Amino acid sequence: MTKKETSFISKGNIVIGLDASSKEDAITKLAAVMEENGIVSDATKFKDDVLYRESLTTTGIGNNIAIPHGKSETVNVASLVFAKTTKPLEWNSLDGSKVSIIFLMAARDKDSGKEHLKMLATVAGKLMDDDFVAQIKAENDPDKLVNIFKKLED
Amino acid sequence: MSKFVAVTACIAGVAHTYMAAQNLKKYAKKNGDQIKVETQGAMGFENKLTAKDIAEADAVIFAVDTNVREQDRFEGKKILKMGTSEVVKDGSKAIAKAHELLGD
Repeated sequence: MTKKETSFISKGNIVIGLDASSKEDAITKLAAVMEENGIVSDATKFKDDVLYRESLTTTGIGNNIAIPHGKSETVNVASLVFAKTTKPLEWNSLDGSKVSIIFLMAARDKDSGKEHLKMLATVAGKLMDDDFVAQIKAENDPDKLVNIFKKLED
Repeated sequence: MSKFVAVTACIAGVAHTYMAAQNLKKYAKKNGDQIKVETQGAMGFENKLTAKDIAEADAVIFAVDTNVREQDRFEGKKILKMGTSEVVKDGSKAIAKAHELLGD
């Protein structure tokens, strides 16, 4: 359960070709990936927390990107899973676009894992950067995606 | 050119707070305005606005889905309030609205 991650994001956090039929299905599958990676200890509980957050306002930020996230006690370490879906998903996005790129973010309460929270904040902020978005849209090689994310840690 | 200060805060404090902050900076820069943005997220206050920052600002932008902490700092200022999603969706509109508030 306590798999140690030296870096914020590794290949295990990247899912290319996620086969999901809906937003709920995508979140369920990615929550399971988080449980496998030791990011959360209870995928079902975490999924429920994320879907609760989704019920408040959409996390489809436009430009085919969604950033579902949950602050949950089942989170062991603040982290994220990045996914590209095989087909676009309805997400009630701000610009009406369907989602094919998902950043599922997991966070704990404010006092834990500040460094990782900082990375989540940095990644979220970068999604407003057109060049960064073009880069991650164009790249499908997990190794290269890891490198793109690693650059943000500097 | 105008001088703005802003506070961003969302419910979880994980993502929208920081996206809204970046989008405000992006479009203020594009418009030739100055802006300093305080984030009130899961990491607490960051880039906290000083009394001087606030005093020198022409207007204040609150991009928030929750209460602004230490809101009394902004008493007497012209304040534009929007939700974080609106600002994430259309940063240029937020800056344009702030100018409207100034009568520009």
